[in-house]
Amino acid sequence: MKRLFAGLCVLALVSAISPLALVQAQTAADDKRPFAYDVAKEVTLSGTVLSALDKPAKGMIMGSHLLFATSSGSVDASLASLALQGKHAVSIAAGQQVEVTGVMKTIKEKQVFLARTVKVGGEVYTIRNEHGYPVSQHSRERASRKSAGEGL
Amino acid sequence: MNRKTYASILALTLLAIVFLTACSSSSAPPVIAIAGASPASGTTVTTDYGTLTAVVTSNGTPVGQGVSVTFTAPTAGPSGTFAGGASSETDLTDSTGTATSSLFTANYVPGAFAVAVTTLPAAGGNINLTNGGGVYSFYVTGTEAINGGPNFYALAGSVVLDAAGDVVPYGDSVSNPTGISGEQDYNDAFGLTSPEPSGDAILAEPLALVAVGGQYTLTLTTNNTALGVAGVETLGVQFVNNSHALITQFDGTATSSGSLDLQILPSTPGASFAFTLSGVDPAYNSVVYGGVFGLAATTPAPTPPTLTLTGIYDEDDAGAVSTGNTLTGIASQSDALGRGTITGTNLGGYVGTLNYYIVGPEAVRLIDVDANDSAVGSAFGQGTATFTNASLGAACAPAQCSVFGVESNSYGFLYATAGQIAATPAASPDTTDGTFTGVGDVDEEGSVCVDSVTLVPPCTIAGTYFVSGTTGQNGYGNLTITAGDLGDVSVLGIYMTDPALNLNDPNNTTGGGGALVAELDGLNGTGVLTPQTDTTPGDFTGSASSYAFGAQDFFCSICEFDYVGQGSFTAGAFSGTGLLSDPYNAFDSGSAMNTGVGFSGAPLADATESATGRYTMYTTNETPNPFVITVPAFVVTNPVTPPTVIDFNVAIYQASGTQAYWIDEDTFSLSLGSLQQQGDMSLVPAVRRARAAVKAAAKTKQKQK
Repeated sequence: MKRLFAGLCVLALVSAISPLALVQAQTAADDKRPFAYDVAKEVTLSGTVLSALDKPAKGMIMGSHLLFATSSGSVDASLASLALQGKHAVSIAAGQQVEVTGVMKTIKEKQVFLARTVKVGGEVYTIRNEHGYPVSQHSRERASRKSAGEGL
Repeated sequence: MNRKTYASILALTLLAIVFLTACSSSSAPPVIAIAGASPASGTTVTTDYGTLTAVVTSNGTPVGQGVSVTFTAPTAGPSGTFAGGASSETDLTDSTGTATSSLFTANYVPGAFAVAVTTLPAAGGNINLTNGGGVYSFYVTGTEAINGGPNFYALAGSVVLDAAGDVVPYGDSVSNPTGISGEQDYNDAFGLTSPEPSGDAILAEPLALVAVGGQYTLTLTTNNTALGVAGVETLGVQFVNNSHALITQFDGTATSSGSLDLQILPSTPGASFAFTLSGVDPAYNSVVYGGVFGLAATTPAPTPPTLTLTGIYDEDDAGAVSTGNTLTGIASQSDALGRGTITGTNLGGYVGTLNYYIVGPEAVRLIDVDANDSAVGSAFGQGTATFTNASLGAACAPAQCSVFGVESNSYGFLYATAGQIAATPAASPDTTDGTFTGVGDVDEEGSVCVDSVTLVPPCTIAGTYFVSGTTGQNGYGNLTITAGDLGDVSVLGIYMTDPALNLNDPNNTTGGGGALVAELDGLNGTGVLTPQTDTTPGDFTGSASSYAFGAQDFFCSICEFDYVGQGSFTAGAFSGTGLLSDPYNAFDSGSAMNTGVGFSGAPLADATESATGRYTMYTTNETPNPFVITVPAFVVTNPVTPPTVIDFNVAIYQASGTQAYWIDEDTFSLSLGSLQQQGDMSLVPAVRRARAAVKAAAKTKQKQK
């Protein structure tokens, strides 16, 4: 019952999310290529975390989702697969301030923000690379090992 | 006449009889009594029968020593060889008239055969023998649940099964002094990589292949305790025919899909191959490769000799695409189980070593065995033809038709696509792009391509393609779907294969070849293009044949389940049962290993089916006809826990009456798999055991009566 209630809450929240005025409407051509990622169209949105979902609610695209509130409305940010799982998962909690860089897309007739980076709690997490391709937790781990000089 | 005269006449008569008898005996041909093989007339492939013996008699009396007897085994198919590898041997009888061969060892081909035994003048007979079991290669790829998973993982290997389904050592104590029963390479690129160059040994295991309903489980006990359940891996197996099965790892430590195929050994590899690989790079991002390569003896020849590999390949590494790269490498000779190594490939600038497992001269499984990156795939022979645009697809006047299926690996951007194209080669197919039109389905992480008018799949697609016939890159090509026609699926590398191959079942010479496919546009997945030869529903959904089926399904985040099974159509409705591997609990059954799972649906032919071969099982059809998977509850409770029943939206593309691809396109789930018509399974190892058990039980019953 708890799970069902949580799911209903998320559904209610998602349905309340309004398209952001600051994000340009997507072209028809873009709509036909839902995950085509144009780094030139990136924007950075700031807001307060409403919730982080390691699995999608009904109607959402697959993968993890970050729901956060901006001054212009609520945003459903797709964190792709595995962002909220594993040792190098994005550590995020409701109420935290967050800066998300990505591209707004229309997928399944809803606006979804494909997040490339998430800055929260002083940490910057890479969710996708510059091609919009999801970066896994293992990739983040290897990157952190590399930056720590451990090599691969 | 006195007594003396009578005695003389009698003596003369007897003498005459003795003389005549002796004369007639000396001219009568000798007779061979087949003593057979010792100790047995049946053995496992690669192992020895002992010696073959035959007794030569004349009038029931052994001829004595020094008579030549020739044993001749078939030179192809199920057979064996004598000491030194000869298929024929001549031996002299000893003082008892017995000719005894050297040790006779079964070759790699299962089945019955006769060794002809002859002597002069013109006497002969047969020794009837049966090679049982077989040497099988296998490979799977999917999601590993152990070792901090979910991780990507790949597994490839080779194993010897006897006729009863036991995993047994190959060869004898000389050829196989350690008594191993198989070998494998496992690689999650995350700390669980088989030690190289040895790989893992697969150890003997009685009753390893066990029937579970219409399917089997195959237990592989390895010497690597970090893998599977303390070193023991279990595969779920669905045989398609005697030489091919669909498989999934089925022990809760990982889930995956792949193939098990009888090996033709020894095999001399063909001169040119097409290949694809799918895996993760050293940064653990998804990567795919595809290309073509040739093989030639390395000169000057090292000891032992090697093959030099040269070719061309394409790569999509987490969206970074590069094409036309030079491929090099050195391939070692394979060992007794068809395993060998390709070094120095430098794929993507980092893949150092690929191991290979031979299926046959034109089919090889490849696995990246580097510790920091992993990939698995296949290389298929290209035959001898020079390819052109006209080589793609099967005639479907006025075009050339193919169906395709491509899917990401478990660690990529999750998607699956399938479709049908009708290609028109250009007037000058060697130099100009051909064109195609068709239909396609794609599910990208839950986002499904829909037609702009009907608002349901499929999407109408069009584009161009080109296949090179240039020496050094024969069969290397590309196919571009107009951007936006099929979601983000657009640029596919295509690598042509021998038309005498079936890419789903490499021991099967029907299927028409087609091409391996690697997607090269930011999405990255691998798959196949199969010539479409028959769209008649009567030959598929109306067929009385049974079909083996399987699929690799991704749902929610990076959760995966896989299934294999068999079923058939009744009045167009499909019903089957199978095994479903579900370590991430998609069905909430209480177990990762689900048996007796039900699969059902009644495919509805599209209005355009005669041209496209497409069917749907959709909840949104006018009469909803979803594909339904029913997983029984694992834990028996009182009251009985109901099974989990989930409806899926599935489209099917019929390549012929014998093979089709199916794609799940739901918001919560996507998958790609195949249906393959089943053939003769009389030589499947455990089938023989099951039959023997039935016969034995019947005999016991009769005795009791």
